[in-house]
Formats: sequence, structure tokens, C-alpha cells
Amino acid sequence: MKKSVSVNYNELRHIAWKNRLRILNMVHDGASGHLGGALSACDIITYLGECVIDYSSDERDRFILSKGHAVTALYAEFNEIGIVKNEELSTFRKLNSRLSGHTNREKIPETEVTTGLLGQGVSYGVGMAFAKKLKKSKKTVYVMIGDGETHEGQIWEALMEAGHFKLDNLVLIIDRNGLCSHQPVENVISIEPLKERLESFGWFVKDINGHSMEEIDSAITSLKSQYGKPKCIIAHTVKGKGISFMENDGQWHRNIPTEKQYNVAKEELEAQIGGNDVESI
Amino acid sequence: MLNQYKYSIPKEAIGNTLIELAKENNKICVFSSDVSKSVNVYEFSQAYPERFFEMGIAEQSTMSAAGGMAIEGFIPVYVALAIFSNGMTFSQTRQVCNNNLNVKIIGTHAGVDDGADGTGHHSTEDIALSRVIPRMTVLCPSDENEVAAAIKAMIAIDGPCFMRVAREEQPIIHKGNCPFEIGKAEVIYDEGNDFAIVFEGSSLAQAFEGWEAAKAIGKRGKFINIRSIKPIDEEYIKDLADSVEVIVTVENHSIVGGLYSAICEALAGEKHKAIIKPVGFHDLFMESGPASEIKEKYGLNKAKILSCINHD
Repeated sequence: MKKSVSVNYNELRHIAWKNRLRILNMVHDGASGHLGGALSACDIITYLGECVIDYSSDERDRFILSKGHAVTALYAEFNEIGIVKNEELSTFRKLNSRLSGHTNREKIPETEVTTGLLGQGVSYGVGMAFAKKLKKSKKTVYVMIGDGETHEGQIWEALMEAGHFKLDNLVLIIDRNGLCSHQPVENVISIEPLKERLESFGWFVKDINGHSMEEIDSAITSLKSQYGKPKCIIAHTVKGKGISFMENDGQWHRNIPTEKQYNVAKEELEAQIGGNDVESI
Repeated sequence: MLNQYKYSIPKEAIGNTLIELAKENNKICVFSSDVSKSVNVYEFSQAYPERFFEMGIAEQSTMSAAGGMAIEGFIPVYVALAIFSNGMTFSQTRQVCNNNLNVKIIGTHAGVDDGADGTGHHSTEDIALSRVIPRMTVLCPSDENEVAAAIKAMIAIDGPCFMRVAREEQPIIHKGNCPFEIGKAEVIYDEGNDFAIVFEGSSLAQAFEGWEAAKAIGKRGKFINIRSIKPIDEEYIKDLADSVEVIVTVENHSIVGGLYSAICEALAGEKHKAIIKPVGFHDLFMESGPASEIKEKYGLNKAKILSCINHD
């Protein structure tokens, strides 16, 4: 269920840019983390936080970030909606912080599942989808995985199960940024034809541009009225999206920017955000 | 005496106990990975089809899906042969504990109880693999009545719990509805201080034979059912080690990381009277065969228990 009836795409884009600056700052300040995959997932996570998940409700739609290394994108959006405080952002990956290096539901319950060991999140989604149906809840379970994460065998166990049980309250989002930890997914182990593979497992599959708020909104909204199958959005994205020298460069999976690189990246993002909003981040 | 008892297969108590609990508690669900008949939860699938999830031969996904169900407030019970529910799922089980979820795991065919299927199917590391994970409770009930009591106890606590259950027949030494307290050992006999046999549930029959053999040669000791490997009854074990000459641990499991290790860990660091001797499997893969014959051949037997008591 959407939180708001009207969606302002320009406003969403603006928030996503702010979130990108928060991601950059967290990884810079923590001197540790994964920029590339957080930046590729940022628009979708921003959309879900702004328009879909109502974190004030216990019986809510769920969002599981199975690719837990992209957690800065989630913390950034949590900061935007008030779950993470401004002063916490600089504590990312440090001792005594709530902002652990991958999602941790005991530190921040809104992260839903402690993830990071790749391959397990879709199965959690299957279990939650069972539970929602048993409770006769109309809520939806969203799970995001990386494209390289489909190398994990457990993913295909869960895909098969979701198809078998026709879990139409489960939406899988694949962040198809094309890169593994340093090289193209297709060079590591080919996952194509991904769409056909998912369809053959009983899923309804939609390809979108994962950086277009219009396409994200249209996909999430239209999937609501699809019944009888689990649903997958293959979100075609760019690893490192929004910072020119990081885009499509595998080394930014977990490189930490030098001061010089940080300043260049910061300037690029600030130029996109503009105005007083920069000061608040 | 051992021959006064009837024998039965402990795992056969699982299905009916879960059905009984599910009547009162609509949060209880059962997860299976294609072995519901082998582990006696098929009857649950018939009684509560909407709360039974057959996940296919996919143990890792089953464990994580149980985790998702627990986050939503249900009490998932994953029942499979221990080599599947435990042996195939270390990372997924560890994440369930890391998430601090109320997932219950039952592993049947403990130790070499799936003897004929061979070494791949022998679960001789499950105590080690489960007790090493923070937050995990580890139980090892013996006969069918104790298994039923232990299942009730595991459902009553909040948090992850692993229980191993025998496939081999065991003497029914407990009455129905027997008490079961997690973290407390059960003193079955206390007749002297020459020795103590401390056993885990799926080796009850062999431990009991050892107990009777020791009595037959005039030794007077104690016969202790550990029941709960984690938390372990540390206070009692320390008292025991100060009273008897030798503690013989008996387990249908590797002595590395299992009951012997847990008892040694409880006693290390302080001086105690007793020495500790292990009866179990000594860091080995065994072979195919009837479980009782594997136990006999590889030293989980009364002769080995007796030689430990006699300091041979």
C-alpha cells in the first residue's frame, strides 16, 4: 500500500541525490563500506522509503535488503525519514554505533533482517510472505538482491519455492548493475537469460530502468494488481551511479575515496542537490 | 533393570507432540524439506495443512524461510534428519541466531542412527555445530516421553533452539508428561561415588548397558542424563566432579565438540577430584551398517564404558 497518493518525481529525485551525498559521507567518514552497490540501489530504496513502507506500523510491508553491503543507501533514506539521526551518520561501521556494516535488525529494527551473507534474503521473504498470507494481511514483502547474488544456490531454492506457492505478495527487486566485486557478472558466471530463467520458475518479471523514478513507481504500482505469481523487477542500474568517476567501475565496489576523490564526488553531488539542502547533510 | 523397560523409537513422539501443542497455540508452524514421513511430521501436515510448509529438498532456504516466519511472530519448527536440519545449514542457522529469532530446529537420526545410509548421513557433529553458535539452546532428550517433554520446553522458551532426537530404539525410562527443565541435568540413579556415567539422550541404551555392567562388577556410581547441552548444568557437574573418581561421558557424537568437550569446558580452570573419560566417536568417519553395529564396532558400547570406569 502506498503511503501517499500523489508522487512528486522531482522531489523523489532530489531526495535520492541527498541520499547519495549521505552515502558518500558515511563511507568517507567510516573509511569503510561499499559505495558502488549502494549508489546503484539508491533510487529504488529512496522510492520505497518515501512512497511504500510505513515504518510507523508493526504490521507493515517489509523491505529486506539481502545485498546488505548496500546498507548505506538504507541508512541514508532512514535519515531522510527520521529513523537515523544526523549525528549517527558519521558513526557508520564504528564501535558502539547503531550503523553496522551490514543490516542489523537488533540495532535498527526497521532494517527487518540482519543480512549480508548473500543468498539468504529471498528465503526470509518467502517466510514472511507465508506469514502475511496466514495472517490474512494484505501487506507486501519486498526483497532486494544484487545481480551477482544470483550466483548463490539458495536464491534458486527460494525462487522455486515462491513460484511453487504462487506468492503474489512477494516482490523481488534485482539490482542489475552488471558488476560483481570487481568485474562484470557475466565474466564471473553468466546469469543470462535472467528474465527467462525467472519466468520459467513461475515468476512475473518486469525490466525497468532502476534510476527512473517514473519507471520504479509504475512498476511497483502496476505489480499490485498482478495476482497468482511472485513478481520480480529487474532494475537495470549503474554501479556507482551519480558520481562520474565511480560509474561502471568495478573497483568502486568497496574502494574508499581519497580526500581528493571525496572532494570531487562531493562537489558533483552538491551541484545536483543545490541550495540550502546541502548544508543540512 | 534395563530389561524391565519397553523400547520405542523416540522420534515417533515428534508429530503427535507438535499436533497437541498446535491445538493450543496457533503460532506453531512446521517446516519440512521432503522428509516429513521419515521424521514423523506427516501427521502434522494432515492435521494442520495450512500451518505445514513442505519446502522441498532445499534445507538452506527452509531454515531462512523459517527465520522470516519467526520475524512475523510465528513459531516455526523445522524438522528433518539432523544431517539436513543441522549439517546442511550452518550459515543459515547462524544467521537465525544472529537475528535472534524464535526458530525451533529438530534433528532426528542423531549420531550414527541413520547407520545404513553411510558416512555422509551420520550426524556426529551437530552438538558441536549448534552449541558453538551464540544464543542457541541445545537439547538432547532420550526416550519418547522425554522427547515430548523437551519439545514442550523448547516451544515454551523464546529464542533459537536445536534438539537432537534418536532414530534407534531406546528404553522408555521416563513416564508420560515427565518434567523437563532446560539447563538442569537429571539424576537417574545415585548409588555411590566410584564413577558417574553422563550421557546424551541418543546413547541412552548403550549408557544404560554400561551402567548395569559396572554394577555387576560391584562398582557403585551415578547415572546422569545431561538433557540440556547448552545451557549445561555447570553447578551440578562441578559438584559431581568433586564427588566421584571418574566421569565417563557417553555420546552418539564425535567427542570433539560434543558432550565430552562441553563437560571438560565446564570443569577446566579449577581443580576437581574426578578425571573425565570419553566414550563416543574419536574424530572419525565410520561406515555403512546397522546403527547398533556401528556403535559396537566404533566404541560406543558397554565394554568401552566399563574400561573407562576400571581405568584400563
